[in-house]
Amino acid sequence: MFDLESQLRIWKSHMVSLGSIGFEDVQELENHLRDTIEDLVARGLGEEEAFLLAVKRLGDASSVQEEFRKVSTEDLWLQLLVRSDSPALRRRDRSELVFVIGLALLGGLLAKIPALFGFGDIDAHGMIYLRNAGIFACFPVALYFMRKRSLPMWRSVAALTVFMAYATIVNVYPSFEPHHTAMLGAVHAPILFLYLLMYFYGGPDVAPRGEKKSYNGWRSANTRLNFIRFAGESFIYGVLIGLGGIVLILLTMGTFSLVGIDVEFFVNDWMVPMGLFGILPVAAYLVDKKKSLIESIAPVLAKIFTPLFLMVLVSLVVAFMMNSLAPGDNRMMLIWFDLVLAVVLGLALYVMSSKDPSHGVSLWDHLTLALIIVAIIVDMIAFTGLLARFFSGGFTANKSAALGENILLLGNLVMMAFGYVRYMYCKRSFQDIVVMQMRYLDLYALWAIVVIVLFPPIFSFR
Amino acid sequence: MVLPKDLVAASATPIILALLKKGDSYGYEIIGKVREVSDDHIAWTDGMLYPVLHRMEGAGFIESYWKQSDSGRKRKYYHITDAGMAEYEILRSQWFVVHRALQILEDAPQEHIHV
Repeated sequence: MFDLESQLRIWKSHMVSLGSIGFEDVQELENHLRDTIEDLVARGLGEEEAFLLAVKRLGDASSVQEEFRKVSTEDLWLQLLVRSDSPALRRRDRSELVFVIGLALLGGLLAKIPALFGFGDIDAHGMIYLRNAGIFACFPVALYFMRKRSLPMWRSVAALTVFMAYATIVNVYPSFEPHHTAMLGAVHAPILFLYLLMYFYGGPDVAPRGEKKSYNGWRSANTRLNFIRFAGESFIYGVLIGLGGIVLILLTMGTFSLVGIDVEFFVNDWMVPMGLFGILPVAAYLVDKKKSLIESIAPVLAKIFTPLFLMVLVSLVVAFMMNSLAPGDNRMMLIWFDLVLAVVLGLALYVMSSKDPSHGVSLWDHLTLALIIVAIIVDMIAFTGLLARFFSGGFTANKSAALGENILLLGNLVMMAFGYVRYMYCKRSFQDIVVMQMRYLDLYALWAIVVIVLFPPIFSFR
Repeated sequence: MVLPKDLVAASATPIILALLKKGDSYGYEIIGKVREVSDDHIAWTDGMLYPVLHRMEGAGFIESYWKQSDSGRKRKYYHITDAGMAEYEILRSQWFVVHRALQILEDAPQEHIHV
């Protein structure tokens, strides 16, 4: 039996998957299809024939896509003036590539700065590298977006000073055994830097002329969701490039040892740091450039693991009911549960990022809600079990950080669960959840700042 | 009679602008009307109209907005801007130059052309 609605849905997701057609544009084309089908049916055609004919009339998908792609590049005026395969455009592409390669080198060279101050030995001064790694990795990406998005100069420089401020703080703060506050700072730096990169990704909030509210700056929920998508894809690209890099390094070491040359020094001091800190700008460039190619990998991964994770968590709840919490290192346990919550949040975020709000409630919404609720239950059980033991031992830096994270993540998931319930059962729009979630990101950045800036003095730099 | 591709492409903008001058419209309606006024000689591939509309919107000749139609379907309507009006005048006079040149050559007696 021919089902028009499901056929239309398949057609729609096919159009979207080819990339370069925005959600609204597909909506417009879908309306067009429906109009055509209605007309044809009124003229006596069956629904199936009408659908096939309408799709055929719309033109083949790839050439329509090609036309759209011409429109959706950011420099629209270039499209109006020159053809897309013109030398000017090719030159622009090439200069961007050169810029990105420069940025990748810059990341590696930044990582050599400690060596200038006599801290060249990574093994002996690992802490210095760890604390500054975030800067080496993220600073070039910020520069990349500055150029790519043509961000206003002085605002960008102001945002870049956050890197400087961070560098000053972590390198000026003393650190005593057992270096817990310093470690915490290093662990929380990526959160702060991701938040900062979100600014560079979205650009400042500049309202278009005559409009009070701006829709596309870094504060807008949709830009933030795009950034999350971007970050996930960059991570995947980064891992892939990294795997290639490992092969390259192993081959280098292996083959040069055949001719009796020891390249360990070169590999450790140059190849590894240059590769490691060069990955991020290259990955960012690739994600931005090849938007349509593997755009949906992160959500696909999230969808694969959402049901699997749900099963693990449900069995964990059952295990909790049968056994009481084993005695052990409370802090480590709490960190484990933090990780569980963070992974659940990540899965929910990426499932969210691929949701088409026009489809209505789907199986994935139910699964996501179930996952969130089970995660909350698991955490609550663990939390109450740990709490009593927790306060008896007094507060250390690590404990406080783990506790703070737990509260932050738990609050986030509870709000998300409420959002999903209201969306699924009270007919509220899905956008409400997105807006809430994207605003909540501010809290993570705030918390990261607290841990980086305030924790060391509070816990006397230990 | 089928118009060659280049001619179709070149005439799309003035035709769309002329149509929108009469009132706001959406993609499906635009295609239908154009087919009607040209006695089916100008038949665009449906999917190609939208990129053209979007390009014109990007150039500032037209603006778009979503509106619920009588049938309950939300449609993207296009509205001509002042810049679009001005552009239309320019394009129209250009086409008119071509049209008039053809006309004069058509009407003129043989010997006048050989001057």
